[in-house]
Amino acid sequence: MSDPAPVNSHTLDTVEELREELDLTQRKLAEAHKMASLGRLSAGIVHEINTPIGSILSNNETIRRSLDALKKLIATAEAEQKALPPKASVILETLANLTDIDKLACERIYAVIRSLKTFARVNESDLRKVDIHEILLNTLKLSGCVFRRRIEVVTNFGELPEVECYPGLLNQAFLNLAVNAAQAIQGEGTVTVTTRQVGNEAEISIADTGSGIPLEVRKRIFSAGFTTKPIGEGTGLGLALTREIVEDTHGGKIWFDTELGSGTTFFIRIPIQQPRAQEQA
Amino acid sequence: MDHNGKAQSQPVVMIVDDEEMVITSVRAFLSLETEYDIHGFTDPEEAARFMETHPVDVVVSDYLMPKMNGIQLLAKAKQLQPEAARVLLTGHADKQSAIQAINDVGLFQYLEKPWDNSQLLLVIQSAIERTQLFRSLREKISELDSAHTSLKEVQSRLLRAFL
Repeated sequence: MSDPAPVNSHTLDTVEELREELDLTQRKLAEAHKMASLGRLSAGIVHEINTPIGSILSNNETIRRSLDALKKLIATAEAEQKALPPKASVILETLANLTDIDKLACERIYAVIRSLKTFARVNESDLRKVDIHEILLNTLKLSGCVFRRRIEVVTNFGELPEVECYPGLLNQAFLNLAVNAAQAIQGEGTVTVTTRQVGNEAEISIADTGSGIPLEVRKRIFSAGFTTKPIGEGTGLGLALTREIVEDTHGGKIWFDTELGSGTTFFIRIPIQQPRAQEQA
Repeated sequence: MDHNGKAQSQPVVMIVDDEEMVITSVRAFLSLETEYDIHGFTDPEEAARFMETHPVDVVVSDYLMPKMNGIQLLAKAKQLQPEAARVLLTGHADKQSAIQAINDVGLFQYLEKPWDNSQLLLVIQSAIERTQLFRSLREKISELDSAHTSLKEVQSRLLRAFL
């Protein structure tokens, strides 16, 4: 960082420069945070994709071997002018079963890829009207890669019109809250995502059945650089960025209700329609 | 125990994975290539209960599962049936914890997803062979034991008869 600028005619220019520099640093931080959260999810994502790929590879080989076996059975039956043995129909049934499994496996992989694709659009600078529920489902799919074995996710979606927002940024905000919610729970628990329309705003709440937020943590929770997570698990930026995305970028509000021992709910409210001036941005 | 109407002498293979899809794939392959008596479980607790009453030759288990992870299940398996071979088949990218656990539960083999069918079959075959060797060793030892006991009895009777 440069020394404080001397008070002269250049002061204003310097302030402007410093502000630009700060903006840039902030954007870089946000980007770094996004990469860090993706990095931490990657082990779960790899596991999520490896399972169906393992099935497809295995099935492919079994299908090839089954076809060979079937070919032999047919050749023998033809040579001996006999009907096909019962084993042939067992093999046929297995083949049908395996192709069904392959379809399921491909759908599983595609769902993960699709949710990654929406997340990769964080820098998308266009304000767009989107289905918030779709963004939420993609986010939950990604965090579910890591947490689904111990966390049950309940969605309680109300009626919402399309919301004008920066989808990539909102995606990141939701992911931060979803990951926090899951991490707040020791062992098994439930994360409930609820949406509803309140006047001209959309409200999204993410509730966990975790440990609650200790009193001394509550007032610092939205500060950048503050984290209670072990090294390597949190950047200390998640909630600061989430607040920025919700309040500064979308002109919304973020707050929480928490009770020690029974859980925390984070609430987000954003306008369904952004003011016209911001749409020019 | 005879579950699928197969001969009792068929080796019993247990596949535990919370993904039904993995069980289906492995079962289809093994059924095509072998005559094994295959039992698949998506719930590790249910798998552990099965082991309480049924002799098993090999347990192939996933690592990340709800309720109980693969290492916990295999530790339970070790306690219930020490000679049953334990194989971990995992897609878990963090190998460190799994490798550390290999020593704790005495794994026969560690395999990664995506797996290779021929390798899986080879591992299961040698695991079965090892389990059956252990079992016959134990039988031989108990045969020796009882032979030894009866010899001692004969000896003491002889002694009583002559002294």
